[in-house]
Amino acid sequence: MDLMTTTELVPTARLVGTTMVIEVQGEIDLHNSPDLRTEILHLLNKHKPKSLVLNLAKVPYMDSSAAAVLVEAIRIIRPKGGKIYLAGLQPRVKGLLEVARLGTIFTIVKDEAEALSK
Amino acid sequence: MVGRPKSGLTVSAMVSFEKTVSSDPANLAPVRKEVEAFLATAGIADAGIANVGLCLNEAMANIIRHAYRGAEDRPIKVGAAVENGRVTITLRDWGNGRDPSTCCGNNDPLTPGGLGLNCLRRLMDEVTFTPQPDGMLLTLSCNGARCAASTNQS
Repeated sequence: MDLMTTTELVPTARLVGTTMVIEVQGEIDLHNSPDLRTEILHLLNKHKPKSLVLNLAKVPYMDSSAAAVLVEAIRIIRPKGGKIYLAGLQPRVKGLLEVARLGTIFTIVKDEAEALSK
Repeated sequence: MVGRPKSGLTVSAMVSFEKTVSSDPANLAPVRKEVEAFLATAGIADAGIANVGLCLNEAMANIIRHAYRGAEDRPIKVGAAVENGRVTITLRDWGNGRDPSTCCGNNDPLTPGGLGLNCLRRLMDEVTFTPQPDGMLLTLSCNGARCAASTNQS
């Protein structure tokens, strides 16, 4: 089921069973991370998925304010026994997660298909 | 050679630049990209450029959020220099003068706050906050090779 989104940072979102798949695009820093936070938290609170797949293949750069949004999402998902899958990480995004020591907290997968097969 | 392009960027023999921008978060990406372009011109490797760019972003964001408490019309003076392969970034603000290194940063990645400061500490050789009478001067530096290799270090 396709879901309505309200920011160009999140061009698509959909539900596949109890898993929500959110596509994110663009460079994300303190300038626009509040918009990303609002959108993701709205989708999670409205549809209450068990697990979340964030497709970051179109995100060439993010800073710690964007990483904080991911941390906030995992704080919602994990208590329900769900997981957050990060798909399609570009090198700079992967580097940020490593230096912020967040690389092991999320499940990092190659793409959406791999996440949905788990 | 000294030049002053239309962008306000000051270039001295392609080893340093200086620019003052407002504390509007919309300036984060343009300034980061200008510094990254300067570092590329100065011969720094791509991985080092990425790490320095991230640290510049984090340091500017901390100034906006903490020193200026979100005000978007205050000045931030950004300097960058490369000498003998060593990258030095300076950021001067005229904010509250509080030294973030004495109050922020934590080792729990799931605890909010301090992510940016931790990035600086892990990627840079030097992170020095020098209080000024009317604000703060932050100096970041790293050897170009270490900048490129430090992502996996603690």
